[in-house]
Formats: sequence, C-alpha cells, structure tokens
Amino acid sequence: MINDKNSQKIVDIIQNWARQHSIWVLAYGTGCGAIELPPTMTSRYDAERLGVRGAATPRQADVLLITGYLTTKTLKRVIRVYEQMQDPKYVVGFGSCTINGGMYYDSYNTIKVLDKYLPVDVYINGCMPRPEAVLSGFAKLQERIAEGRAEGAKKYKENLEWYRANQKKIIPNWVMPDYNW
Amino acid sequence: MKELKEQLINRIKAHFPDITVENNFNYNRFDVSINKESIHSILFYLKDVMGFKHLSDTNCVDWLEEGEFEIVFIVWSPAEKIKIFVRTRIDRNNPVLETLDMIWPQLHTYEREFREMFGIQFTGLEAPDEFILEDWQGPPPYRRDFDTAAFAAETFFERPGREDAEDVREAITKLTGEEIPEFAKKYSR
Repeated sequence: MINDKNSQKIVDIIQNWARQHSIWVLAYGTGCGAIELPPTMTSRYDAERLGVRGAATPRQADVLLITGYLTTKTLKRVIRVYEQMQDPKYVVGFGSCTINGGMYYDSYNTIKVLDKYLPVDVYINGCMPRPEAVLSGFAKLQERIAEGRAEGAKKYKENLEWYRANQKKIIPNWVMPDYNW
Repeated sequence: MKELKEQLINRIKAHFPDITVENNFNYNRFDVSINKESIHSILFYLKDVMGFKHLSDTNCVDWLEEGEFEIVFIVWSPAEKIKIFVRTRIDRNNPVLETLDMIWPQLHTYEREFREMFGIQFTGLEAPDEFILEDWQGPPPYRRDFDTAAFAAETFFERPGREDAEDVREAITKLTGEEIPEFAKKYSR
C-alpha cells in the first residue's frame, strides 16, 4: 500500500512537516560568521522556537551552516563533514563570502562560489547577516522543506562526479574516505 | 631616555662597528641595520649580554625594486624599557639564511612562515615543508610579484556579476509591493 503514489505523497507531507520543525544545526563555524550564532540561539532571538538548535556531531545534524569565508583548507574538512551527515541534510550559505567571495574576492586561498562545491539550499546574504536575517533564512529553509524543494542532498548524489571534479580541482591531494550513504 | 639610548648604541657599536643606526625616534625605540653574516652574533649579544630578552615580533619586508628581502627582529628589554628593531637584508633571488631558532625557540614558527610565504630557505631548520597552506602549488603568496587577484581568478570559480547595474531596490519593491520610505529614495540610484 505504501508504494501507491498517493499514499507516498501523504507520507512525504507528514515527513516534511516533521523535518521542518526540527532543524538541528551542526555546531561548526567556519570564518567569522559563527559569531552571529550565539545571539541567534540565546534568549534575545531564541532560534529554538523554530526548532533550530545545535547538534554536537555531523551524524546527528540536519543543517550545515557555512558561516563566512571558506579557505581551501577548510573546504576539505567541510566536504568531509557534509558527507558524514545523514539524510535529510541541508546546506545554508551564510554571508556574502559564500555567495561571491565577499571581501575575500581576490584572496589566493578562499573559494568564491560555494554552490560549485556543495549543494546549497538557502543563501543568507549580508556581511555579516544579523540574527534577524539568519532567522529569516531558517524560515525560508523551513518553507522549502515543507514544499519538498530542499533537495540539495539528492542533487549532490546525482551529480557527484561534477562536484568531485570541482572539489579535486582545488584539493589536489585527495585523501578522503568514500562514504556510501 | 636619550642618554640611555646613546649609551646602548655605543655599547653595541663597540662590538659591531659595521652597523648603521637610525635614532630619530622620540620614543623608546632605535633601529639597527646589520649584514646577514653578523645577525646571529648581534642577536645573541643583545639577548645574553644586554638584557634584550624578549623577542616581540619578526617580520619580512619584500623590497622588490631593490631585489632584497629585509627581515626585522623587534627585541625588547624589560629592564631598560627600550625596543630595538634589528634589520638585515638578504638577496631576493637567492634567499638563504642560517636558522636562528637556537636564540629564541619561537623563531622556529616565524621561520616556517617565512619559508612558506616568502620562499626564504633557512639552513638547519628542522620542520616539515608544509606549515599553514595545504597542497599549495603556486609561488610563495606573500611575495610582491605574486598577483593574488589573477591567481584567484584562474583558480576559483567566479559568480558573474549583474551587468545591467539595475536598481535592485526598485525591483524588490515591484516584486513584494513594499514601499520605499521617503528618506531612502535619495540613496537609491
């Protein structure tokens, strides 16, 4: 019965509703943006009322926040963290640096466009985005999850070769384990 | 202060006659330039005999036009409350210096950084080749003839910008029906 198309639709709606209200963010900050997260999480803005809270390990987390500039060195770790995360998983690009390089546009060691290396579901722009912007980004992510449009992880699996080629272009010594999700 | 500085300069000059001193600072600082062969002995002398025990900072300056690297050691005497900038120059095409980390162990870290960022080789430095940059394949990035913008443009993806230079604010208001407040109108293009 569960393979029936209409039943699957109902299951998806319930699943997405549940996922939407429990967004656990990996407590991992890259760059300077992580400093906006304590005010977002604490009593003034209180992100937990949206179901946003911290998770200790990649395997328990749903959302990977890329907070700010990504050096090629950090990108290696971020890819590894992202691949360890269990489905469902989403990536939120945070700050101008992840969008077009921001103030590090001519740096020799930071990437400029995040979505060439990882599938990004929501971008939050600003340098830095204030906690209001961060919350609005999370609200947008919830909206997308509810509509079933936050399918970055699926995109990543389907186009893994393309992403890998881009990643290997700037990480020549590839010594990462292969995860079979 | 001035007398104390003169006194210290005379003491250094008695041992190292070939130094050039710059002493036109109004505060507790003077500069000493020395050739690269004597840099070990002057740093040892300042540290062990004259009480300049503390190494505050070490820097490298790229004098591209003169074809030289200048390495600056800033040493501080807690007793005299005086700091000295000890400068030495090495050839830019063949940047080799003997390691100095037996004087201050923390120079080890600085030397590794100079090796990676400027390509200066320190003979006798025992450290892995890689320091901060991982898998680095370009030229040393802190050299002035290294074009960071060109390197970034060819290494990393670039997001194409908005060519029409449209007024984004107006487009957003059309989309959302939001009204631009009167005071904000003069800022929009």
